[in-house]
Amino acid sequence: MKKLVESSGVEVAFKEVDVVTTGTFGAMCSSGAIINIGHSDPPIKIEKAWINDVPICHPGAAVDLYIGATATSETQSFEYGGGHVIEDLVSGKEVELRATAYGTDCYPRTRIKTNLTKDDLNQFYLLNFRNCYQRYACAVNSRDETIYTYMGKLLPRFRNATFSGAGELNPLMNDPDYETIGVGTRIFLGGAQGYVIGEGTQHDPQNLNGTLMVRGNAKKMSPEFLHGATFTRYGTTMYVGIGIPIPILNEGLAKKTAIRDEEIFTNIIDYGVPRRDRPKLGKISYKELKSGAITIDGKKVRVSSLSSLKTAKKIAGTLKSWIEEGMFYLTTPVERLPLDSVFKLMRQTEETSFIANVVHAAVTCKENEPIQAIAERIVKQSVNHIVVIDDAGKLSGIVTSWDITRAMAEGRKALADVVTRRVITAKIDEPLETASKRMAQHNISALPVINSERKVLGIVTSEDVAKILGR
Amino acid sequence: MVRILLRFSENIVEQPITAEIILALKVPINIIAAHVNSKGGEVLAEVPDAALEKVVTAYREKGATVSLPKLIEVDSEKCFSCGACVALCPVEAITLADDNSIVFNKEKCIGSTCGACVEACPARAIKSVKQGNSELANDLNPKK
Ligand code: SF4
Ligand code: SF4
Repeated sequence: MKKLVESSGVEVAFKEVDVVTTGTFGAMCSSGAIINIGHSDPPIKIEKAWINDVPICHPGAAVDLYIGATATSETQSFEYGGGHVIEDLVSGKEVELRATAYGTDCYPRTRIKTNLTKDDLNQFYLLNFRNCYQRYACAVNSRDETIYTYMGKLLPRFRNATFSGAGELNPLMNDPDYETIGVGTRIFLGGAQGYVIGEGTQHDPQNLNGTLMVRGNAKKMSPEFLHGATFTRYGTTMYVGIGIPIPILNEGLAKKTAIRDEEIFTNIIDYGVPRRDRPKLGKISYKELKSGAITIDGKKVRVSSLSSLKTAKKIAGTLKSWIEEGMFYLTTPVERLPLDSVFKLMRQTEETSFIANVVHAAVTCKENEPIQAIAERIVKQSVNHIVVIDDAGKLSGIVTSWDITRAMAEGRKALADVVTRRVITAKIDEPLETASKRMAQHNISALPVINSERKVLGIVTSEDVAKILGR
Repeated sequence: MVRILLRFSENIVEQPITAEIILALKVPINIIAAHVNSKGGEVLAEVPDAALEKVVTAYREKGATVSLPKLIEVDSEKCFSCGACVALCPVEAITLADDNSIVFNKEKCIGSTCGACVEACPARAIKSVKQGNSELANDLNPKK
């Protein structure tokens, strides 16, 4: 379609093409499966359940369970989770169910352990409440350390970038006004046929961040299009394959489905900043993202995809052949999806603490001051940390009372001998929580607070943190 | 050429061992990757097949540990071609083909001295594996 519109124009394309198939295959955390495991004898009303040591939700009656993709194993932690359980079941593997209950007159049993395959389940439906994101951000990291996120491993100081999404192949990008995709639309889901059952959570079509809620019979699905996955130090998730046919009902749809990667832009976002509003560093097209390298601040940064374009293409191709062979029939939606819903921010009734709430003036010294003078200052001000600054007030090191004690014991005179140069710092708008984590990680008890020019604004200590966070 | 992994302890890391061996044996030794600090070092080197035994013995005599490097293997059954590993590889040993599948170039990979791609793979399709039980591997076991 895209090529046809380019070469022959919208009118010709509209006449010639009946359906455009689309596809996407990526990590979709808000996914899971509902299962019904049947009644045991004596029966049990499950209170807590695990499959292969992954905790499973029990949102309903006695033996209905929901396997959430991001639930992680209690024994293997991030290496195995709900997504892997679903993949194992889909592949026909046997899984181990353990459950406990409080026992009632009608459900007397209090514990059970049994092995199950998908054939033993009454129902096994994929039920994903947010899938198929229309587009997603491109992630980078400004920090001095590698961070591990749901956007993968991000190297320090913008040394790599990651992105997600199929761009021009994404279903929602090809029908951005939801003319054909609505409640009841039959789709390709995980290798089988499924349905759109509504808009996904956080659906935000006006900002081109639409999402879908979908359902499909997992017993018929294939592990090729449904894959448990692990993001190191982040957690588990599931890769889900979705394909949607878009009937070309009018010239407008012919034009919309001709969208190209160079017309689809997304934001480059700094995941190094641990806040909800992470800084946007610019816009970038999917064409550039797919090229393997982007430019940030004039520097070339290598970028890789987290979702699979190869599988996305395969899904669109499979769907096409299903339609051609009469194995898949298109449906008309029974209800349109909302076009005006907005993604609201959380109402927070309890205050969150940031560094700005606890920062206080740092006791400082200059590089050339004698140890004796610094020791006196430590005693007089009764502090444990002295921040070393240069004439411009910029951070050049830190010394603790312990460093000074040792220096005096060893008869050293120069500050340079005892100062720590690689100082771990905090930023003024950073949440207290992350600063506290950093202190614990490096086993230190204070962080100088600096601005982007490395000017010292103050200091926070573990005591300040303990007062607020109570730890 | 054969790749070998050399480990130098804190005591010997400051000595110019590789230079001495090159001069003494007159064989070219190519350093592929090196992580060295005052606490010790790990070096991935390439030596000609014919000179392997001589070189290994020479390093051992000078107190270095010699082993075969662990290399990376990509399990094509598990890999779903997302590409997350591609941009992380410092030597471009992993690239994307035109059909968006990944191509792994074993020759370029510096193996366990790097390992950057292993933990980045969401499908856990990349493993760091010991090189096979070839005679070479046995030859390299420390003889006591
Ligand atoms: S181990 Fe390092 S060099 Fe080898 S493929 Fe992985 S990232 Fe590249
Ligand atoms: S990160 Fe893993 S799954 Fe993705 S392309 Fe590389 S090897 Fe394949």
